[in-house]
Amino acid sequence: MLTSKTPTSTNEKRNVGKILIDFVKHFFERHVIQTKKTRTTTLHDGASITKPFSYAGIYLVVLLALTYYFWDLIVVTYFNVTPFELFVRRIPNFTNIVSKMISDFNLPYLPQIISPLVDTIQMAILGTFIGAILALPVAFFASQNLVKSKIVTNLIKLILSFVRTIPTLVYAAILAFAFGYGTTVGVIATAIFTFGILTKMLYEVIETLDLGAFVAVESTGATKTKAFIASIVPQIMGTFVSFTLYSFEINIRSSAILGYVGAGGIGILLDDHMTWREYGHLGVILAVLLIVVFIIENISRFIRKKMS
Amino acid sequence: MIVFNNVSKVYPNGTVALKNVNLKINQGEFVAIIGLSGAGKSTLIKLINKMISVTSGSIVVNQEHVEDLRGKKLRQFRRKMGIVFQSFNLINRTTVVRNVLASRVADMDIVSTLFGIYSRNDQILALEALHKVGILEKAYTRADQLSGGQQQRVALARTLAQRPSVILADEPVASLDPITANQIMKDFKRINQTENITVIANMHHVDMALKYADRVIGINKGEIVFDGPSSQVTEELLKQIYGRDITDEDIMFRDQ
Repeated sequence: MLTSKTPTSTNEKRNVGKILIDFVKHFFERHVIQTKKTRTTTLHDGASITKPFSYAGIYLVVLLALTYYFWDLIVVTYFNVTPFELFVRRIPNFTNIVSKMISDFNLPYLPQIISPLVDTIQMAILGTFIGAILALPVAFFASQNLVKSKIVTNLIKLILSFVRTIPTLVYAAILAFAFGYGTTVGVIATAIFTFGILTKMLYEVIETLDLGAFVAVESTGATKTKAFIASIVPQIMGTFVSFTLYSFEINIRSSAILGYVGAGGIGILLDDHMTWREYGHLGVILAVLLIVVFIIENISRFIRKKMS
Repeated sequence: MIVFNNVSKVYPNGTVALKNVNLKINQGEFVAIIGLSGAGKSTLIKLINKMISVTSGSIVVNQEHVEDLRGKKLRQFRRKMGIVFQSFNLINRTTVVRNVLASRVADMDIVSTLFGIYSRNDQILALEALHKVGILEKAYTRADQLSGGQQQRVALARTLAQRPSVILADEPVASLDPITANQIMKDFKRINQTENITVIANMHHVDMALKYADRVIGINKGEIVFDGPSSQVTEELLKQIYGRDITDEDIMFRDQ
């Protein structure tokens, strides 16, 4: 048995981590190491089968432990209160803002936000479109079952995960520094984001496809590219359009705040009114955004449903 | 004409699939290759259009050395070779006629391929191919809505639209019921006779092979143990090819 004695410490918060580690060890022994031996099923006629050992459980426990540990470390250390106390103490701040948004609701302000709102929507549409067009060919080169060279597929996958690591907002900020403020920057940032997630979603779908049709078209003397277009594309088209619409839904929401970093659109206004504490104006913008996002999401969902 | 000169194939894992195979198949022949599973039937078929490469020896198809073909030359060579697979390998979620047209993309430019723009000639060629296998009325149906037999006909039409000189069929009827299998084999036979296309088919079921092929090649453990007209195949020979008695599993129609 692995046991560890808990050192006495004045800092109670440290102990939480220690107890947690003990718990993980205990859990590990009790449920993982033991079950590893006993997961063999014997049937009535003596035939037996052993289930292969899976690390999924350990990963889950480690992940939960890390989440708790970092939450504890950051929130408790910096604010010196428990997370729950902090939350309760600040509720009135939040309700104040919300009630001001409603009481100062500035309806005559509405016409002024139409133009930036249209900018925002255009930004999302164009960005999604560009990203989606680029995603298709790159997904082909990232699919292990189509491209035999592991170096190529893994390199592309690595680059893609870097691309996905950086949030849209950060792309927009960097691009705005480099190319100046404006909606173009928003379009490019949105396109990069769309490209990043769509490519990943697509190559994962392609990698699960049965390659029979691809092999058949290739055996007629077509190049890999042509075989891909003729046999794989029709099979993933539905998924592709559906994923594209889905990322468009995300993009509509994220493009609303891109103005914060200088990418144009309604985000600029959000930033302004937040800074000047003009909660009435803010209320109008949020209400309009809510309606627009709701409508667009429903249209998109409707199309996706029709297609599948 | 297809010629095998001392062809051997050893897979990377050490399995010897074919040993010193010598063969000569003339244009327009209908050849069935029979033998146990694992005997090397599929390997033999796949070598002909270089889906896999020979380990030693050479294969000459219409004066071309297959083992030397690469890149563009290989692709051009493959246009003359139609393949029909056991699992049909159709493009699901798309129409039958588009499946047949897929065999035309090899000759098309990339932009037309991308936008699915097929020439009028290709479209007529595809529809005629469908007509030849008797499923013209299914042209605009989705391929995955057809029965197994119909799907194999689409695959056959796709091969025909390629205008091949040789059709290679890897267990073309093994996943079909006996009645449908017979109909498909009749299609093969008709195409073989009317279009003078060489048909080389791997067959697991002995009765089907003997009924439709003019010539039978028996393979046992990578070696040809019989090569002759199907009329000469006797019970004794089959025992030699299969290394055991013929069982019900080797026959599609049990009462034959």
